[in-house]
Amino acid sequence: ILDDPDLKDIDPTVLKHCHAAAATCILEAGKQKADVSAISTCLEDCKLDKEKIEQFCTEYQKNKDALEILLGSIGRSPRHITDVSWRLEYQIKSNQLHKTYQPSYLVTLNVENSDSGSHPDVRFTCTMEQLQDLVGKLKDAAKSLERATQL
Amino acid sequence: KLNVGVDTVQHGVEGLTYLLTESSKLMISEIDFQDSIHVLGFSDELNKLLLQLYMDNRKEIRSILGELTPKLPSYHSLEWRLDVQLASRSLRQQIKPAVTIKLHLNQNEDQTAQVLQTDPSTLLHLIQQLEQALGEMKTNHCRRIVRNMK
Repeated sequence: ILDDPDLKDIDPTVLKHCHAAAATCILEAGKQKADVSAISTCLEDCKLDKEKIEQFCTEYQKNKDALEILLGSIGRSPRHITDVSWRLEYQIKSNQLHKTYQPSYLVTLNVENSDSGSHPDVRFTCTMEQLQDLVGKLKDAAKSLERATQL
Repeated sequence: KLNVGVDTVQHGVEGLTYLLTESSKLMISEIDFQDSIHVLGFSDELNKLLLQLYMDNRKEIRSILGELTPKLPSYHSLEWRLDVQLASRSLRQQIKPAVTIKLHLNQNEDQTAQVLQTDPSTLLHLIQQLEQALGEMKTNHCRRIVRNMK
């Protein structure tokens, strides 16, 4: 904003104050999920004229959804699973044990950490029975999600 | 009590250990085992005893040897919980469903538990992908390989 040619005639301190005030107002409105009438009332109390209020509200409405998504993504939560990859292997021998003949799955859960931006994936192996157990439990979770949405 | 030197006993034990672990590792048949020890020139009775010892213990020996192979953490169990986030410090009046998962894994005799989270659509995607993985063992390709590798 300080580099904008249209605004170069205004005292930079005043500009900063305006920017901070506008930002605070927008963020508070977004946080409270305020509707247009609430915002208008608030701005009227601040003695802004009708035209400016209307301009502000129109701009706000345009960007409201993006603002809500941004605000909703701030905050701590456990690491988030984004994807899964799997590999099916058939073991035939190792140097300790020959003739093993066992299928096994190698599963990688791609995980995103919102704080550090690192991607510490979770890797593990499992047998077919264990994978069936895992999938069974995930399906239970999905079923109870479905039931919850129908309440 | 055995009236032989310590060294002899030690060699005896080491010899037996080697014999049993190698035989179990290779999973040799009874006949092959008998042929192998025949070369050592022991009495028939001793040979029979050794064979019995091999047959009785090879399963357990094999499972212990199985623990020695290089391993990644393995699955133990999973717990899940359904959460709905209603508000946070930065945004009020939300409805954000999430599934929180506690994944228990075994790594070299330690159990670790990881807490992870996912959203409903990713959950369905995970289920679909893993069901595909399970289905792979039943395909003709895998069946053929399993048949031919015995």
